[in-house]
Amino acid sequence: MTMNLRHLPHYLMVLPFVALFAAFFLYPIVSGFYYSFHDWNAVTEPHFVGLANYERIVGSRDFSRAMWNLVTYVVITVPLGIAVAFGLALLVDSFSGFWSNLFRSVFFLPVVLPAFLAATIWRWMYAPNFGLVNMVLGWFGYPSVNFLNDTDTMLFSLIAVDIWVSAGFNMVILLAGLKNIPVDLYEAARLDGASRLQQVRHVTIPMLAPVLFFVMTYGLISALQVFDVPWLLTGSSFTNYGGRQNALLFPVMDMMGRAFGSVRFGQASAYGFILTALIIVVTAGMFGLRAMRSKP
Amino acid sequence: MTLAIEATGSRRSRWSSITAWDLCRWAMAICVTIVVVFPIWWMVNVVFTEPGTPVSINPRLYPTSFAAGWDKVAMIMRETGYLHAYYMSMAYALLTIAGVLLLGSMAAFEFALFEFPGKRPLFGLIMLSLMVPTAVTIIPTYLLTAELGWINTMQGLVAPGLASAFGLFLLVEFMKGLPKEMIEAARLDGARHFQIYWHVVLPLTRNAMVTLAILTFMKTWGNFIWPLIVLSNAEKYTVSQVVGLFNAPFSHQTVDVVMTANLLAAIPPLLFFLIFQRKIVEGIAMSGSKG
Amino acid sequence: MAQLDLTGVAKKFGVVDVLRDINLNIRSGEFVVFVGPSGCGKSTLLRIISGLEEVTAGDLHLDGERLNDVDPARRGTAMVFQSYALYPHMTAAENMGFSLRMAGAKKAEIREKVAKAAAILQLEKHMDRRPGQLSGGQKQRVAIGRAIVREPKVFLFDEPLSNLDAELRVQMRAELIDLHRRLKATMIYVTHDQVEAMTLADRMVVLNGGVIQQCGRPLDLYDDPDNRFVAGFIGSPKMNFLSATVKEVRPDAIVLDRIGGSSTSLVMPFEGFDAAEGPIEIGVRPEHVRLAPSDERRDGDVEVDVTLVEELGDVTYVHATMPAGERIIARSDNARHRAETANRIRLDPSRFLLFGAAGQRIRPAGAA
Repeated sequence: MTMNLRHLPHYLMVLPFVALFAAFFLYPIVSGFYYSFHDWNAVTEPHFVGLANYERIVGSRDFSRAMWNLVTYVVITVPLGIAVAFGLALLVDSFSGFWSNLFRSVFFLPVVLPAFLAATIWRWMYAPNFGLVNMVLGWFGYPSVNFLNDTDTMLFSLIAVDIWVSAGFNMVILLAGLKNIPVDLYEAARLDGASRLQQVRHVTIPMLAPVLFFVMTYGLISALQVFDVPWLLTGSSFTNYGGRQNALLFPVMDMMGRAFGSVRFGQASAYGFILTALIIVVTAGMFGLRAMRSKP
Repeated sequence: MTLAIEATGSRRSRWSSITAWDLCRWAMAICVTIVVVFPIWWMVNVVFTEPGTPVSINPRLYPTSFAAGWDKVAMIMRETGYLHAYYMSMAYALLTIAGVLLLGSMAAFEFALFEFPGKRPLFGLIMLSLMVPTAVTIIPTYLLTAELGWINTMQGLVAPGLASAFGLFLLVEFMKGLPKEMIEAARLDGARHFQIYWHVVLPLTRNAMVTLAILTFMKTWGNFIWPLIVLSNAEKYTVSQVVGLFNAPFSHQTVDVVMTANLLAAIPPLLFFLIFQRKIVEGIAMSGSKG
Repeated sequence: MAQLDLTGVAKKFGVVDVLRDINLNIRSGEFVVFVGPSGCGKSTLLRIISGLEEVTAGDLHLDGERLNDVDPARRGTAMVFQSYALYPHMTAAENMGFSLRMAGAKKAEIREKVAKAAAILQLEKHMDRRPGQLSGGQKQRVAIGRAIVREPKVFLFDEPLSNLDAELRVQMRAELIDLHRRLKATMIYVTHDQVEAMTLADRMVVLNGGVIQQCGRPLDLYDDPDNRFVAGFIGSPKMNFLSATVKEVRPDAIVLDRIGGSSTSLVMPFEGFDAAEGPIEIGVRPEHVRLAPSDERRDGDVEVDVTLVEELGDVTYVHATMPAGERIIARSDNARHRAETANRIRLDPSRFLLFGAAGQRIRPAGAA
């Protein structure tokens, strides 16, 4: 490559960013890949074990449990969360001016709270006997439920919090998409005799497809990496995590536990790559699905 | 007389124009508002109550004792490391913002407005990193930070988050919208490369920079996982970790004290939101529509 | 003094020839307009002179000094952009003084020069406003002021009036002419609007396909175009082009037959026509096509179908179709015509221009 002095200022300006990017993104990926084939506890010398780390993870009971939890969680939380967000967006959009802005800001409020805070507040909301949720149930004559310690309800309790936290975020993006749909289209549909519901079905959803796709893909990618909220809802630590009978054990939690609890950094690195592969497959699947649908 | 008749007439027509749909959407909006706001409101109420009031007296619909709330805040500030955690979190957020804005805007300036050999593959690589989950880098990044001896240090906390691909993406998209003639005019006016960045492009990018600063603040203030592993020394804890201590099963704190700790952690982002809500919402909408 | 010479200038973007072998000498104090359709290379040529683009081949000299490798800011040129390109975060005064600030001038000097330029442009009242608070015409003036402050040898204008409404454009055109007279500077102006070019230029350079088609005084180009492109580009409405065959060549004239597909023959004065020229085309401007009075018939009148009558008050343009389908526009200065009364046109063969098959002008022998 001919190094032209004329281009030097360009390289100088991008250098700080690129240097840090290389140090804290590229290098970790490469070194992580290296560690994933080694047995290493950060103290003794790493020694090569081939695919043993990958085999051990995939064969472990925690992994199957975490994967099973993850699949159930993702399958419910992503569509449901987007449906709720879409409903909220339509609701906010049906108001105008002051009220529209007010409801938008209010519905967005949980997004502003750090996830660690949302989780701790909800731990108290879910508390047996005196927690708010149980109290409301009590009014209707239901017995108290230990939401975060009963394996039947734990996952759904998590999903509820998750939607409470993230619906506002997706709503704002969908709302921006709604505002970009030309009013003429609705007027034309109304002149063609479409009801309010038919307008949503035949105008809003097709016009919103690219935004819905973004929200869905982004939602999937972040749901596959779920960590903060279940970690805190179960009061986890590096040595004890996942909640009762591992009902809220997820892959990233499992990975963190293997790294900082049992100090197996090689295994944890391998775990990261398994997770990445999963995410790439799912994302590629989403894009493939879109390409298929956009074909005539 | 006529006036009164008209008034009642118009009132009637106004009432009759309220449809079932109107009632329905207002009912829904109010229900959602309650679900969203009540947990936060409840937290405030628990804080501002005389200590010792049984939590079972529920629901706490309104604060009953401001003095008691202030006492709890003062107690937490006095007897725990909360104030220092506040300082740590603030420093973490502000240093990250400064770094992300500076490095991001310098790089975005080049990627958005100029051509140079290697630009496309380099930018493509950085954008590709947006697809890679943090899960895969977090452990090797921790190991690198450890190798550098940066565990329990501010640089260890801040440095890995500075090269923000998301921030670069946001700024590049914004700068691409700047008129090319403006840059050419500056060149003809004799501005050097760095002067164009400093005197022309940076002031014009102010809006996007403010948005990015706010989003970065939200992200760093709410970051739980990275401080958790990098700062193991209790004296260096950030707010998220201190709140974790209060919430831990063995903390033996009463619920009102725990909620006070939570509320204190919620105040900066809530304040930020009140001041900058439009920017925050627009920023998120923008990153969504461009993605 | 500011003599600008371009020799053999060429520019390629990849494999596309944007400009080919441009040779041009611009005299000191001259107002030169580059005109042509979009994509003809006129803006690229201006940007080459300003230094924003580099040449692929050729040389630029300003007063004998080679410009090719001189930094754009030090060439002694200043540019006014189509979009004005004012910095929105600076006041009018800061915009105008920015180049001096970059050059490290003292504050007092900047203030003095900016004030002087503001006085020339009558902008004194607006100097503390930002571009967002200025009207289109005021922004335009600030953009010109920014150029004046640099005291350039050559002013470069890139379609500076195209963002203004019609009325303001006429006014700014007059101001530019006035400015040129007062500053006595060399000005190069790019436009796609031939009316603007005609009114402003001392000398017009018509470009098409990256090649200079013709260069000269506006009326010379109007009356005596070198080729079919220039003939058609200059003048509004456009020149009419009609097919014809040469039936007979006389020493001082030729007889043209089948004009526009009609059975009409006309004798055109023309010395020394070379029969080997091949197929020809007639060019005739609308003002040399008249409507024949309905009560008077002459040989050579052509029966046409009138398709549209544009009555503009001072003049009337009649759009018509010749017998074989070729279109023609006739101009009438006084009479107000109704479509049904005007159905014969009369061509003035003494004003015909002849073009060859390749679009080249066929001139009588002895003419330049």
